[in-house]
Amino acid sequence: MDSPRDRPRPVPGSRAARSDDRSTAEIRTDGGAEPDSAMSGSLWQFPAVALAWQNLRRNRLRSLLAALGICIGVFVIVVLGVFGTVLQLSASEELGGIGNQVIVSPSAETETDALTSRQLQDIERSAANRGTVVPLYSDNAFTVSGSESTPTQVYGIDRPAELFEGEDEPLPVQHRGGALVGASVADTLDLQLGSAVEVDSETYRVVGVMAPGEDITPVQPDNAIVLAEREFTGEYDQAVIVADSPEDATETAAEIRDRLNVRVEEVDVFELSEILETIAEFFTLLNRFLIALGSVSLIVAGVSIFNLMLMSTAERRGEIGVMRAVGIHRSDVLKVLLVEAALLGAVGGLFGALFSGIAALLLWVATPITLDLVLVWQNAAYLVGGLFFGSVVALVSGAYPAWQAAKERPVEALRG
Amino acid sequence: MSEHSPNTTAHDKPAVELQDVTKEYVGAETVTALADVSLQVVAGEFLAVVGPSGSGKSTMLNLLGLLDVPTSGVVRLDGEDVTALTERELTDARREYIGFVFQDFHLLPTLTAAENVALPTAFAGEAQTDRAVDLLRRVGLGDRLEHTPDALSGGQKQRVAIARGLINEPAVLLADEPTGNLDRETGTQILGEIQQICERGVAVVAVTHDELVTEYADRTIRLVDGQLGEGDDGFAT
Repeated sequence: MDSPRDRPRPVPGSRAARSDDRSTAEIRTDGGAEPDSAMSGSLWQFPAVALAWQNLRRNRLRSLLAALGICIGVFVIVVLGVFGTVLQLSASEELGGIGNQVIVSPSAETETDALTSRQLQDIERSAANRGTVVPLYSDNAFTVSGSESTPTQVYGIDRPAELFEGEDEPLPVQHRGGALVGASVADTLDLQLGSAVEVDSETYRVVGVMAPGEDITPVQPDNAIVLAEREFTGEYDQAVIVADSPEDATETAAEIRDRLNVRVEEVDVFELSEILETIAEFFTLLNRFLIALGSVSLIVAGVSIFNLMLMSTAERRGEIGVMRAVGIHRSDVLKVLLVEAALLGAVGGLFGALFSGIAALLLWVATPITLDLVLVWQNAAYLVGGLFFGSVVALVSGAYPAWQAAKERPVEALRG
Repeated sequence: MSEHSPNTTAHDKPAVELQDVTKEYVGAETVTALADVSLQVVAGEFLAVVGPSGSGKSTMLNLLGLLDVPTSGVVRLDGEDVTALTERELTDARREYIGFVFQDFHLLPTLTAAENVALPTAFAGEAQTDRAVDLLRRVGLGDRLEHTPDALSGGQKQRVAIARGLINEPAVLLADEPTGNLDRETGTQILGEIQQICERGVAVVAVTHDELVTEYADRTIRLVDGQLGEGDDGFAT
């Protein structure tokens, strides 16, 4: 038999590649059976992961609780982020219309109560290629139908479809006669198409009912009557610019100010997109604040993992010493321990992300929030980010105990 | 017992050697665990090291196994000075040349018998899973491959530990109280296994309080207060 003494041995640390020499392995098998194949693959393809997983399974309750901490932390962060995003997008959608409108009216400083033709021309030049200018007359009056009456805002608009929508039928592109009534007016006075209403002692036939206004804007249709322009005299009272985008609205407003308010403030320019920006900033700030608060729970989970790893490595000091004694490098031991921490974070983070995804879908099911506000890239980013952050917190928390355990001299570790 | 030929070749050098080795522990006071000890163990030799508690047996075993470094003196493995190796080189040397059998077995409780045996090879390229199975069958545990340590008796655990110590075909097997936690009958069986290992050319050094071990050993040396006992020679005859 070829003994180890007969085989050439290189210097320590520079062992030659082993050939498949089994001369020292006398096989006294039972009936010549083949080596058991149960061990092939699995554990030894990824030894660090397999050993780490088995170590975590030794004390399942403790591992579960540590992962649960990460799960809760990730859940809190992701839910806060998702809910905040949904709230912000929902608010933007609700308020979105106003971001595109610019309301121009005569300035109080000029002591006039109407826009001149020159001013209107400047307004139209400012809005060119950015949106539509809708000049309008504005007044207040009681609208009467039968024995009922109600105070209303009366508008004179040539192209009401640019500003409002019809409830059942589209509004006329050009308003030539009759009255368009708002939803609240129609409801109060029980008006339908063809009903007669009296405004300022003039009788008009209802030719359309406007849909309830969904946007927040000073020019609201709900409690209004819209008459044809020919019912009014004089100059326009206001001009509404319906811009193509909030950015166009901002640019239009700026140009109007440049044109009309250079020497004297001739017009008041009410730019609703500024409000929208302020609201968006508020939501963003609120969201970040809440997420920062939520992060505290993740930090607490990290402390829990730090403690678990300290206890676990202390309990396994002898085992770690044996691993080092039989020739497993410090770096490989460190790898096993770090993988343990990372697995806790990954498993906890995965379930945290899963539960927060379910919570987001429940938000859609249980509230008027639409699904398209939930399925946005920002929410996906929170899910992925929460999972990643949870894993990182766990890894960082486990790093110090892992390092301390791996670097201990095997002779010290074996003493226990 | 093996002969120590005067016409030595590189392959006949002692499997492991201590030359004028001293180990001191510096604390509140300096403790000398080993004092100027010289020792050679050749391939195929079974050396028993006996002595009272605190005599330095474990320290000697740790130095032979490259788990510790001497305060002075030289440690050689297969004729090569390994005293000044780096931590990484020492780890490689342990894996390639030395097998350990611990008194408390120190098997990983989450691994099966076969996985425990193959553990030293897990991170060094391909795990020697087939060899692990072969070794376990050789020590009579062919039907315990998938058992975890809690399902094994003391003697079976010791056999698993021995198999693990042999997985990398070491030149030297170091055993700390190999029969310490075993009954006499099981201890006898284990010692028989160790003798067979020596017959295959592996040098075995066993630290023990058990007189039975000395009966199986080729040579016994006695350590007293960190020194070889009077009349004991650290060199094979």
